[in-house]
Amino acid sequence: MRSMIRIAGAAALAVASMASPLLAQVKHPREIKTPALRQVRVPQPKRVQLDNGMVFLLMEDHELPIIRGTARIRGGGRDVGAAKAGLTGILGSSWRTGGTESRTGDQLDEFLESRAAIVETGASDDSTSVSLNVLKADFDTIFPIFLDLLRNPAFRQEKIDLAKTQANTGISRRNDEPGAIATREAIKLGFGPDSPYARQPEYATIASITRDDLLALHKRFVHPNNIILGMVGDFDAAQMEQKLRTAFGSWARGPQAPPPVATVNPSKAGIYYVGREDVNQSSIQLVHGGTMRNNPDYPAIQVLNDILNTDRLFAKIRTEQGLAYMVGGGVGSDWDHPGLFRVQVGTKSGTTMQAIESVRTELAALHSAPFTAEEVLRARESILNAHIFTMDSRAKVLTQMVNLEFYGYPADWYQRYPSLIDKVTPADVARVAKQYVTPDKVALLVVGKEKDFDKPLSGLGTVTPIDVTIPELNAAPSAKPAAPAANSAEGLALLKKVQDFVGGKAKIDAVQSVRTVASATRKTPQGPMDVEIESLTQYPERYRAVVKMPMGEMTMVVTPDASFMSLPGMGVRDLPASQRDNFRADAKSEILTVLKYPERYTFAVSGTEKNARVLEITADAETVRWHVDPASGRVLRKISRGRGPMAQGDQITEYTEWKSFGGIQFPTAASVTSNGEQVGSTQVKSVEVNAAVDNKQFERPAA
Amino acid sequence: MRVRSRLAQAAGLLMLVASTMQAQDLASFEKKTTVRKLANGLTVIIMERPEAPVFSYATVVNSGSSQEVAGITGLAHMFEHMAFKGNDVIGTKDWKSEQAAMAKIEEAYAAYDRERHREVGRDDANVAQLEKAWRDSIAAADKFVVTDEFTKVAERNGAVGLNAFTAHDITAYFFSLPSNRLELWAYLESERYRQPFLREFYKERDVVMEERRMRVESSPFGRLLEQFISAAFIAHPYGLRGIGHMSDLQSFSATDAKEFFKVHYVPSNMVIALVGDVKTSEAMPLIEKYFGRLPKAPAPPALRTVEPQQKSERTVILRESAQPMYMEGYHRPASTDPDDAIYSVMEMLMSSGRTSRLYKSLVRDKKIAVQASGFNGFPGEKYPNLFTFLIVPTAGNTATAMSEPLRAEIDRLKNEDVPADELASVKTRVKAGLLRQLDSNAGLALQLAQYQTLHGDWRELFREVDDIDKVTAADVRRVANATFVDSNRTVGMIERQAPAAQGAKGDSK
Repeated sequence: MRSMIRIAGAAALAVASMASPLLAQVKHPREIKTPALRQVRVPQPKRVQLDNGMVFLLMEDHELPIIRGTARIRGGGRDVGAAKAGLTGILGSSWRTGGTESRTGDQLDEFLESRAAIVETGASDDSTSVSLNVLKADFDTIFPIFLDLLRNPAFRQEKIDLAKTQANTGISRRNDEPGAIATREAIKLGFGPDSPYARQPEYATIASITRDDLLALHKRFVHPNNIILGMVGDFDAAQMEQKLRTAFGSWARGPQAPPPVATVNPSKAGIYYVGREDVNQSSIQLVHGGTMRNNPDYPAIQVLNDILNTDRLFAKIRTEQGLAYMVGGGVGSDWDHPGLFRVQVGTKSGTTMQAIESVRTELAALHSAPFTAEEVLRARESILNAHIFTMDSRAKVLTQMVNLEFYGYPADWYQRYPSLIDKVTPADVARVAKQYVTPDKVALLVVGKEKDFDKPLSGLGTVTPIDVTIPELNAAPSAKPAAPAANSAEGLALLKKVQDFVGGKAKIDAVQSVRTVASATRKTPQGPMDVEIESLTQYPERYRAVVKMPMGEMTMVVTPDASFMSLPGMGVRDLPASQRDNFRADAKSEILTVLKYPERYTFAVSGTEKNARVLEITADAETVRWHVDPASGRVLRKISRGRGPMAQGDQITEYTEWKSFGGIQFPTAASVTSNGEQVGSTQVKSVEVNAAVDNKQFERPAA
Repeated sequence: MRVRSRLAQAAGLLMLVASTMQAQDLASFEKKTTVRKLANGLTVIIMERPEAPVFSYATVVNSGSSQEVAGITGLAHMFEHMAFKGNDVIGTKDWKSEQAAMAKIEEAYAAYDRERHREVGRDDANVAQLEKAWRDSIAAADKFVVTDEFTKVAERNGAVGLNAFTAHDITAYFFSLPSNRLELWAYLESERYRQPFLREFYKERDVVMEERRMRVESSPFGRLLEQFISAAFIAHPYGLRGIGHMSDLQSFSATDAKEFFKVHYVPSNMVIALVGDVKTSEAMPLIEKYFGRLPKAPAPPALRTVEPQQKSERTVILRESAQPMYMEGYHRPASTDPDDAIYSVMEMLMSSGRTSRLYKSLVRDKKIAVQASGFNGFPGEKYPNLFTFLIVPTAGNTATAMSEPLRAEIDRLKNEDVPADELASVKTRVKAGLLRQLDSNAGLALQLAQYQTLHGDWRELFREVDDIDKVTAADVRRVANATFVDSNRTVGMIERQAPAAQGAKGDSK
């Protein structure tokens, strides 16, 4: 039998727990009182400046037995010319991995990691850095390494090579993710492709970087008068100051780092497009010039940005329409050079135009619709009440102070900020919206698959396609035997044999134009694609092709004066430079062109392969090889360099059938392989020699 | 200077490290931490850290995408989006009317959904009509919505880091506030779990579809991950990505969500951790007042399905125009297994820093990779999961070429004892790594709540460092030999495929 007391107790408890929800009436959120925020004195670092110009900012923090420091050195990527784009990236990694005179990078790795000590180097647009993060007890052991690395990097060649391999891999991967393409290309549009803030390393620029370049950069920038050393952690500031004076006091001044680089020539407003086949979502960016942080309008601009994001872009495009997961942006303010206004949105292909219209509507509304007092108040409160988080740790405060010091801003800039925000009015916000958001200056970029769009992009205006093909590195001269400077007798003899096979030099010279109709199959990521090609060549150098594809008809024209194409639903536009150059290079090695104008090439025979004589045909430092049947003079196959964004190594065109038209032999069946895989085949259905040519076919139609 | 053996040096370092860490050891943390289980089963952890007048919190629900079944994949993640929609007071102009309108949406949707999924005898005209009726019912309910009010209320009160994540194992909600907003926080956070508020559910479904397109469908790496886990797990929900199948995203309803919420969003299934400028004596009663209102309910039933032992090596290959990528996964036990510390040591040995095995061999010496690492807890840790290797080849190398050098390093773990100094270095870094995590309110709040949820005790955050300290070379060999077995392996890779030859003109010339 259960104890009555226990039952009574349980009952009492039950009653109490049932009662508590009723008793604990919660207030309406409006009625919840907010007591005053506990005032804290924000700790400030101790600032020391040596006679040689070096600045220390020292912040004590005794919570954990760790000491962290970063030497921030003026001079960065923006101070390196375009020819060496990527140099500071190589510097940033090989500075550490290349070790010092006394320790290789590998030795440093073992020494540091066994102590859980971290000494690293880095680089950005405007600075390079050497940092350390150590347990307090290890400081005196590790600090000399930090010093040594700062002042005496060895830049060992094997680590430079390693850094280059990694940089090149990064380049090869830079088009894998559509979002990354969109951001990168938007920044190029906003700053201009030649701006140091938009520059990309390329295979050629990475290849040109030498150890001397790294040493020269180090010598140019690493001087005490260019360095701010910020330290935070479990130390006594006075003692640390002494240690640092001892370490750096006798270091002589050097040349001052250059002043900030201004941005250069932003792109024109317009519509830009990067096509991608393997996406079902578009990455959209709108960009134009921004401003600087020391602009007195900066506080009003921050309020504007808050409203633009919270009340307009996020609310209307994501929450209310469900069109996007990623949407946002605003007027960017960089520290020492103008930033960018940039808005981005990602939406499925089928709502691309709808999302663009929505963003444009919201940007226009920034000018046309007034800002309400409520909106402005909410934005101000959000910024003000979150301001504590800019200084809620000593490490954070130190970082702020280093930035202010580096960019030459007043030391109380963060302290002044709240009162400036507090003064921003709806009229201020309206004014800065008009001044700093200018829709007619916007460059709109879309990375996506246009054939799946809800409406064609051209509905917004002329579309400029952007070719993001990664420029290839031309083969190093040492990789292949030097191209012959003059014809060899053997080469000329083999050339004549081919000419005779085709029909003889006289007949060949009489050919003015050729029209062919062919059907072809090409391998694409989506599977094989069947096309019909009608091509017209007017010698020496005018080409026109009409390609019928499943999704529509494409026309391409390349002449010495112009190169353009028209795609289904996209109107006429210039051929991207790389495509035009690739086409011309391919055209140059076309059989009849070579046979008609041999004076433009040099010919040599390099041996025999598979019972065929190999005729090397060189022009413009590029060599194409024909495998020629020595008995008949028939060209069996052509080996040429694969071109275009997906090219991998050599391409072999096998000519499996030749037929005669108008006394001239033409290859009528061909199969193309690349890297051992068949990528295409062609079957010619008709050939017309010297058909009448209408000049209009090579002229660009009115847009 | 006296020459000491490397071993003695390492031992000396260990002692030095251990002594400097005394001030930040478990005992000192226990002094400032209070754990309370409320009557309704909710676990609350408060850690005082009055550095600055701010605090962070994390709410961890012990349910994630592993709790989904076919038809509702992606549903757990929806709550991440719903958590910002407000309640009966915030986010609505008139809750009573809105609630009625939302009930009408569910009726209309059920009719539409039933008809459109009809396999035989579907009437498309009827489907179109029902769809319109459903969309109209949404428009009617939208009239009562005050857009994004929850987020605005939080932000104007100084909230930063307002976010959430859904994992296979858990769902976590977190942000930080100035410390004078404690009561407001208690109100906002407790209201999220008092009952489900699912306004704008179908619009957020569209947003989640965009998220799926971004993370998975339009991303080569995203596609690889999805294929990889589906090959590695044939039974357990770890085989599905948390974002859900597109067909389920297009189909599940707010009614489905309500059912899921009722089962999983119960206080006995939740842990809340607060770290920062809070006084436990003031905060705990406040939390009891607000969170005590959450109705008591039994914890959800445990997941039944156990992944059977993998008996075949499996490979998935994506042929893409993207650059190559290589992955290998080997099944390992849940993180609560006694061998967990040994797996952590293997992870450090293989991937931590430039002295790691994979860096030295594949990145530095062979130069065939720019990144090579092995890591635990993929795609989750609560259930048996994968020890996974991820290698990013250097330009010009195929994914396949990564396999032999990787296996060579794996074989070393199996066949050679880890040298003492290497083991010591790992242990030193693990201890320092813990130390380096302790200076962030937000980081601590999430860690405490996660450890309490997944291990039953927040102290495990410290204790696992001690467990790692005890791992021996023999342990590593034993576990390596048990784990890295051919039949236990799943391989996933992206190989670059050359698309069509370029040029519009025929290549017959």
